[in-house]
Amino acid sequence: MKNYDPIEILIVEDNPADSELMIRSLKKQGLLNELCLVEDGQAALDFIFCEGEYAHKNKNKIPKVVFLDLKLPKISGLEVLAAIKSHPDKKKIPVVVVTSSKEDPDIKAAYELGANSYVVKPVNFDDFVASIQEIGLFWLVLNQPPV
Amino acid sequence: MLMKTLRLNNLNILLLLLLSFGCFMEVKGIQIKEDTTLKIDKIIIASEPDYPPYCFVDKNGNADGFSVELFIAAAKAVHMDVEIKIGIWNKIKQDLSEGTIDALPLVGRTSEREKFYDFTLPYLSLHGAVFVREGTTDILSIQDLENKNILVMKGDNAEEFLHRVKITKNIIQTYTYEEAFRRLASGEGDAILTQRVMGIKLIESLQLKTIVPLSFPVNEFRQDFCFAVKKGDTELLSRLNEGLSIVIANKTFDAIHLRWFGPVNQQRLTYFEVIKYVLYFLIPFVFLFSIVAIFFLRRTVRLRTNSLQQEIIEHQKTVNTLNSQQLLLSEMEKVTKVGGWEYDVATKKMVWTDGVYQIYGVSKKDYNPSEMNPEFKFYDKEDQEVVDFAFKQAIENGSSFDLNLRFKSADGKAKWIRTSAKPERKEEKIIRLIGNILDITEQKQSEEELLKLKNDLEIIVLERTKELHEKVLRLNKSQKAMLYMVEDLNTVTNELKLEREKLEASNKELEAFSYSVSHDLRAPLRGVLGFTQILMEEYAVKLDDEGKRICNIIKDNSVKMGQLIDDLLAFSRLNRYSMHSSEINIENMVISIYHETTEEEDRKRIELSIGQLKNAFGDTNLIKQVWINLLSNAIKFSSKKDVSKVVVSSYKENENLIYCIQDNGTGFDMKYADKLFGVFQRLHNERDFKGTGVGLAIVQRIIHRHGGKVWAESEVGKGASFYFSLPINGNNISLD
Repeated sequence: MKNYDPIEILIVEDNPADSELMIRSLKKQGLLNELCLVEDGQAALDFIFCEGEYAHKNKNKIPKVVFLDLKLPKISGLEVLAAIKSHPDKKKIPVVVVTSSKEDPDIKAAYELGANSYVVKPVNFDDFVASIQEIGLFWLVLNQPPV
Repeated sequence: MLMKTLRLNNLNILLLLLLSFGCFMEVKGIQIKEDTTLKIDKIIIASEPDYPPYCFVDKNGNADGFSVELFIAAAKAVHMDVEIKIGIWNKIKQDLSEGTIDALPLVGRTSEREKFYDFTLPYLSLHGAVFVREGTTDILSIQDLENKNILVMKGDNAEEFLHRVKITKNIIQTYTYEEAFRRLASGEGDAILTQRVMGIKLIESLQLKTIVPLSFPVNEFRQDFCFAVKKGDTELLSRLNEGLSIVIANKTFDAIHLRWFGPVNQQRLTYFEVIKYVLYFLIPFVFLFSIVAIFFLRRTVRLRTNSLQQEIIEHQKTVNTLNSQQLLLSEMEKVTKVGGWEYDVATKKMVWTDGVYQIYGVSKKDYNPSEMNPEFKFYDKEDQEVVDFAFKQAIENGSSFDLNLRFKSADGKAKWIRTSAKPERKEEKIIRLIGNILDITEQKQSEEELLKLKNDLEIIVLERTKELHEKVLRLNKSQKAMLYMVEDLNTVTNELKLEREKLEASNKELEAFSYSVSHDLRAPLRGVLGFTQILMEEYAVKLDDEGKRICNIIKDNSVKMGQLIDDLLAFSRLNRYSMHSSEINIENMVISIYHETTEEEDRKRIELSIGQLKNAFGDTNLIKQVWINLLSNAIKFSSKKDVSKVVVSSYKENENLIYCIQDNGTGFDMKYADKLFGVFQRLHNERDFKGTGVGLAIVQRIIHRHGGKVWAESEVGKGASFYFSLPINGNNISLD
């Protein structure tokens, strides 16, 4: 585990309840990766492109997966997604879109922009935990990112 | 003529022979008579059937012929009766040699026969001839018969002759000569050798026109014919000789001969006879000639008469044609009001056609155009002068004229006429004027009328133009008014468009609102539920029973709220949903929904009966939602019964299909029926039956979008029936 990258999961979520529940469910599953939580779109972009607050950050460290809420302050989730997927280096970062409803018309837009997957935040916590764990497991353990 | 000559020649010879024999026999006959007793009174002879004219059978079947009659006469002269049998030659010849008969009347004497028979004096001498088919060219003399096929009667002299001269071996024997001639005629053999006279007679009687005798004589085949008796019967022979002598002497022979062969010509013809013959020929000739001449004369006369009659007919035709043409001209003149005239300059004679008289209104009887009757005034004084001048000029200078003049006919009618004339010259001298006169009154009238009409028309056109102009002006005004209206309309339309846009915008806003409401309502709910869950799981040991019960209440309420939000979202979504219609197999749909929405355990206490369900036309997803809602309602509200009875059926009414879902559940009071389909309307409390009160509102909205209706019937405690209708052909579906 020498070349283990400590920052593996980026969660972009403005609702602290949702983010806490999400982090809890991932930890409960035993995925003890390093998590970073940002609460708006601008912060997400700064983190990924190492700008602003994250300008000192090692540019070579990129997250293994991004959980991205679509409804975000400042810059929307779709804009963040577009920025990631249009960048030659960053576009290979897997992005899982997190949404409140499967009826969300933004899901379609997200897929068109290159989202790798999506997960609905169900009202029922058990269901939510199950889907977060499933998605996290897939992207962190099973899926090998392209070199 | 040839035949005639031959016959005459033969008869001459015969005559000479008979005369010489006659003289001789007269002395001898008397001697015989002295020493002969009348021992034999009756003798039997036999005659051939077909040796005319000597021996043959008449139409009654009796023997007849010159020889037969001569024999009877000779026998009678010596007091003998004769019985005559008929038989073919070969047979009777045999009969005689055997003694069955006593004598034969006609036997040619030959050296061969003298061995068997005795012969009387010959009474007839005949020459033979060769008969061939017409057109035979290779037999010109007796020598040409060599090796030819020659037909003869069996046992006849001819056969004997042929054997004697040995000219051919190909002898065809026949029973009679009749047979021989028929066979030759039918193409058998080359020739017949027989007696010339007999042969010719046979040809005549058999009418064999294709058989002819050849003219060369067969000299060696001369036959002397005698009566014959059996060899050695000298007694009968001498009596027959006697009888023969008697009949020759007493001219009976001549009489018989005359009867069979006609009168015998005398050797020399007298002057008178010559004249007689000449006359015989001349008279018929003159007679014939006259007939022919008369015939030709009559024919010529007839032809001439015919041609004359033809000429008369032609002439008559010409006259008729002329008459009809004259009539036609006159009729034509009457109809067209035209007349022709002719003026002879030398005789000053004027000739008019009927048409001129017609125009002038005078009759031929009353008016002579040559005299110019002064009591008739046809023209005005002025016009009269013009006419007179033109006429004079035409006669003197040869100038033609063509004038339109006012005119008054004898019967007082005012007319317009047109008269024209052309002079005719002969050797530079004007000899005649030929002209015509035309009644142009109607033409003039027509012209005037036309002129008037034209003027009237001009006035009318002016008036109409004016009217039209006014109308155009009015129309222009109307058009302007219309334009204003259109402008108004456009304004209204624009306003409407704006309104619609506004409406659409607000609709979108509303949609966005309901979406974000449901969206944003979910987030805190998720928090409430999620953290309650954490509380219950991770802090369970610190919570007492009351704390746990409260956590559960929070959880249940949160779940219910989540459900409400989902239903609200689904309901608002219905408006955005775009429908796709197709035929739906309702029966299959109901069965599959039933199995999807119920568990095996539930189905044990549910009794679902599905009647015949007709296929519907609509959006599959939406109609499925309708059935899900109604079926689950029926099962839900009958779940308190021991057995849930659900009956599904359909029927057709007018242009609609009606579907019915009936249950045996708790039912409802009909006074709340109008509230049944409202959003969030519930008729039962949450404790008894869970639900959000959106299901039936969704059902109603879907059915309305399909152009159908939904209603329910029920009584409290006695179950409920829910109905909905769909148009049969899928019309009236709202597509927005």
